[in-house]
Amino acid sequence: MSVDSIIRDSATSRRGLRWWNLLVRELEVFIRASFGSVFSREFLTVLIPLLILWELLPRAGIVPQTLVPPPSAVITTFRDMVVDLNMLEHLKSSAIRFGAGFLLALVTAFPIGVLMGWNLFIRKHCLPLFQILAPVPPPAWVPITIILFGVGLPMQIFLIFLGVFYPILFNTYQGIKETDPRYLASARVFGASEFTLITRVYIWHALGSVIMGIKIGIALGLIMLVIAEMYGGRSGLGWLLLEAKEYFQIDRMVVCMVLLGFIGWFLIEIMKYIELKLAVWRIGR
Amino acid sequence: MIEARRISKFFSVVNDDRTAEGFTALNSVSLRIESGSFVSLLGPSGCGKSTFLEILAGLQAPSDGQVWIDDKLVLEPLPATRKDMEEYRKKYRFLSPIANSLFRDNPKHDIAMIFQDYAVFPWMTARQNVLFTLKLRGVQKSEREGAAAHYLRLVGLTGSENKYPSQLSGGMRQRLALARALSVEPRIILMDEPFAAVDALTRERLQEDLLRLWQETKKTIVLVTHDVDEAVYLSDEVVVFSPLPGSIRNKVTVDIPRPRRRSSREIRVIKERLLAMYRFDTVHESDYSI
Repeated sequence: MSVDSIIRDSATSRRGLRWWNLLVRELEVFIRASFGSVFSREFLTVLIPLLILWELLPRAGIVPQTLVPPPSAVITTFRDMVVDLNMLEHLKSSAIRFGAGFLLALVTAFPIGVLMGWNLFIRKHCLPLFQILAPVPPPAWVPITIILFGVGLPMQIFLIFLGVFYPILFNTYQGIKETDPRYLASARVFGASEFTLITRVYIWHALGSVIMGIKIGIALGLIMLVIAEMYGGRSGLGWLLLEAKEYFQIDRMVVCMVLLGFIGWFLIEIMKYIELKLAVWRIGR
Repeated sequence: MIEARRISKFFSVVNDDRTAEGFTALNSVSLRIESGSFVSLLGPSGCGKSTFLEILAGLQAPSDGQVWIDDKLVLEPLPATRKDMEEYRKKYRFLSPIANSLFRDNPKHDIAMIFQDYAVFPWMTARQNVLFTLKLRGVQKSEREGAAAHYLRLVGLTGSENKYPSQLSGGMRQRLALARALSVEPRIILMDEPFAAVDALTRERLQEDLLRLWQETKKTIVLVTHDVDEAVYLSDEVVVFSPLPGSIRNKVTVDIPRPRRRSSREIRVIKERLLAMYRFDTVHESDYSI
């Protein structure tokens, strides 16, 4: 082996190591920021008594155990569901639906919101349409969507899209519209084109409200995920929830609810992390 | 050379009782600023001097009159009739008249502007702020880093390159704004009360720095201020604005040789004259209003 190749090898391995270290460090930051707030000493003093209460009340027979399954039962049910019901498959199909609907909404709502905030002409032509359509509650779209798309993936994706679309659209639009004119003026004097203004000034100024919109979008999207799966589909968390209702399996319902709650919380924590990484400049304020 | 010809600016304001009213911010202001000179626009708050500066920079269209910078028209005035206004709106449907272009970064005039509250971008570090303006002026990518370091050193910000504006003090933020303005090598720098928001000690140091940079580079500087000391100490010519409606009341040439001393007798005399002029204005205010 020549000296060159050794040096190159050591360089690549070092780079590999550095990349690995960076990943580990970022994961640490993320976990500390997300789980840290749940497992903080202050919150544990609330959480542990609550869990104990939840465990003891049904066991002591103060509330009927058939209606309120204690946490220990929920955990065993969860294990059973993973083994017997192919829970991971259901989770996967839910994730695919949610991801597709969410991404579709993001790539459409964000540019439209930016354009509407940027230009008065476009705003006056498009905004009233969205203002009329947005107040229609997304679940009200279910019947017509089933007729148009049939029962299946397109219908589910469309329903989730509807839930995520408007919060992102309106928050992006508001954030862009409220961009401080001083920043625009100072960039214009230096000769910034409108495109540069959008990519370097507007979007950064609106970043906070865009992420806020995405967070609201995630919450609404999860609602629509459950609704879509309840109305059409043979898989997914919403469907499992409905199945459990048919057979009066309250422990399974609780497992599904806890899982949905956890997924929502986790996605919001991811958004918080992204915000933290993108908006470093806000920290000092 | 900057030449403002009979600039007027009218606003319509809506009162509390929902009646509309015309408001004249600037009334037929004509001014000629020679290249390489340091001119101060002095006046109390709300006399339209900041509006005038924004019209010079092309950030607002005047209602009437024209601004020429080096024999190039800055912005066409707003149309006067309703029909013309509709056409004007239609013409600037997608790109407002103050926009440069849709995709190409290119300033219309060789101007840099410094704002009262700095307006440096809080989402960029000091270095990135300067790099950004260098990029806008089309400096080669390989030269940008070196140039940014040079201009940050020029204003004494070495060591704070990677700080965000929120981590800088007010004086340092103003220095950053100055570095950003100098980095594009403009021929004209417009300053809108740049030292109003910093403390007195920092202000004096910033003024010294500004004078040094002006003498080194011989740029045209137009400074808007309400501080009489600052105007007299720094500038070649003081243009006195008076409010209601904003117009030029007087021009005072300050031909005191540099370097000047802040407490010298000549400066005090000119200052007294300006203050007396202003006092006369406020006492005889009713004489000017129609």
